[in-house]
Amino acid sequence: MAESYRVVATAKSGCSSSVPSLPPPCPKSPPEYPDLYGKRREMAKVQMLEREIGFLEEELKSVDSLQPASRCCKEVTEFVVANPDPLMPTNRKNRRSCRFWKWLCGIPCFNFSWICCCCYSGCSLRIHLPRCCDCNCNCDPCDLCNCCSCIRCPAPNWRCCSCRSCCPFPCSCSCCCPCSCSCPCSCSCPRSSCCRNISCCSDCCTCGFPSCPDCSCCRCSFPECSCCTWLCCCPRWTFSAPKCPKSPKCPEVRLCSNCTKTCCNPCCLFF
Amino acid sequence: MSVAELKARHVAATETVNSLRERLQQKRLLLLDTDDLIEVVAVAGYAKAHGKSSVSFGATDLVCCRTLQGHTGKVYSLDWTPEKNRIVSASQDGRLIVWNALTSQKTHAIKLPCAWVMTCAFSPTGQFVACGGLDSVCSIFNLNSPSDKDGNLPESKMLSGHKGYVSSCQYVPDEDTHLITSSGDHTCVLWDITTGLRTSVFGGEFQSGHTADVLSVSINGSNSRMFVSGSCDSTARLWDTRVASRAVRTFHGHEGDVNTVKFFPDGNRFGTGSDDGTCRLFDIRTGHQLQEYYQQHSDDEVRHVTSIAFSISGRLLFAGYSNGDCYVWDTLLAQVVLNLGSLQNSHESRISCLGLSADGSALCTGSYDTNLKIWAFGGHRKVI
Repeated sequence: MAESYRVVATAKSGCSSSVPSLPPPCPKSPPEYPDLYGKRREMAKVQMLEREIGFLEEELKSVDSLQPASRCCKEVTEFVVANPDPLMPTNRKNRRSCRFWKWLCGIPCFNFSWICCCCYSGCSLRIHLPRCCDCNCNCDPCDLCNCCSCIRCPAPNWRCCSCRSCCPFPCSCSCCCPCSCSCPCSCSCPRSSCCRNISCCSDCCTCGFPSCPDCSCCRCSFPECSCCTWLCCCPRWTFSAPKCPKSPKCPEVRLCSNCTKTCCNPCCLFF
Repeated sequence: MSVAELKARHVAATETVNSLRERLQQKRLLLLDTDDLIEVVAVAGYAKAHGKSSVSFGATDLVCCRTLQGHTGKVYSLDWTPEKNRIVSASQDGRLIVWNALTSQKTHAIKLPCAWVMTCAFSPTGQFVACGGLDSVCSIFNLNSPSDKDGNLPESKMLSGHKGYVSSCQYVPDEDTHLITSSGDHTCVLWDITTGLRTSVFGGEFQSGHTADVLSVSINGSNSRMFVSGSCDSTARLWDTRVASRAVRTFHGHEGDVNTVKFFPDGNRFGTGSDDGTCRLFDIRTGHQLQEYYQQHSDDEVRHVTSIAFSISGRLLFAGYSNGDCYVWDTLLAQVVLNLGSLQNSHESRISCLGLSADGSALCTGSYDTNLKIWAFGGHRKVI
């Protein structure tokens, strides 16, 4: 285009009858520049697909040498059968045989406590050392068992509750109330109080420390405020009081490229 | 080469890929030598043929023995400590709570800088918790550090680099300094927490990887160099942390987003859960799909699988669904043996996350009803 403009300019300045008259300039539309960025993207996609073709061809060749599914199934079955599972129920045969042990376990367990534990936790006929407590009060998982009477606890400041487990907290809150017996909740920790006889809350009555199962311990310093579960929620005009948390605006997220459902937009989870 | 020619090459390459996948699937079907080739019933067929009897749960065999109350929003994620009975949970209320599972007490309540949290994880030592969400950052908190003047626990590290939301995170077993995240940017990342830098990026725009948001990761407990990821592209992929450029294997079969993946306890298989309502069991060495777990319903409602966990022996598969059900599957016979969602004292809404304690004696479920519940073998215990 620059060349044609230069020719016209020369013709005008020269202004001689010997210079042939050129047709008037006819502006053309700008040339189409190649969309380099789009081409590179397309090239990258093609390369990825061709690489995927290579991987699939490799996999096709190797499939013939794979072991059949029956071998994998055998491995799965053998593994499952070989490993004990604390969540598996006992079978009926074992339950019948355990009736004797259940009767025996009705009496306080002392040296035979491990037998009781085994019975209640659904042991098989192969009696093995169970993982429930051994009545020397190795009671970490003890309250998931139902067998042993707690005689003594491993640490001096632990306590046996009437519901047959040990409370690990040094403050000796009798917080074994998760057992289904009534433990009086008495907290000897400083600055603590019982919430509904269920647990001890440290700093319970400091709004914002959510130890209690409900906000019954929440005390706000301003009388106009009321308790949210975590904070004191105060009217706006209350000077320097914290505000209730607002629901944050969901930031923009990129949707899944092939997703036809809103579930790929995690913001939908928050509604 | 012109753009038009490139597009034509793209179409041809796509057809070739689809055709090769079809051939691969047909070849794999021929290797399913145990039973019916139409449905994937390999494990169930083998187990029945070898006289395995089904699991039978009594009315009080699996009971809810704890309800952890305290969140004020939907619970999205939970994780147990590897060695002690503590749980960390993440919620729509923008907080992480650390619980003592035995006593139900809360030991920490961490207010997050970004309330839109989607995932959380405990470090192997139990000293740190990690979380991530819509801020595209994975935040690390040291539970032993002192709170700031507002009573909040400060972040000890922020892992930035993802270009999309962080959907899932898991620490590498026995390493407090490395974790793996999955993201809406189609990638998974292995992080060095000490430096805050990405050690490896798995997938992405110019690498062979997932082609849509990645929703879940699970690291192999037997070989921590291997992990699987599940994605909105309906596939699960197996990765070797030493080779980030391509997945070791891609597992097709699902017909919807793969929301959750979890390794089978033996480390050679893994399970998946999907929007198509099925859970599946895949073998990592052969790529075989060994079993499908799906229960037909009379209505047309599709129940998305939101979360799964295997019991310690692998005999039980726990699966949470979007309608509030929580099926307990017998993995060998592919039968539902219990529905925790229908039990007394169960959740009142969708179960969004599941996790088994390290010793396999308790299952924790988290729900949109804001609670967490712990289930254990009940025997004759009363329900609390």
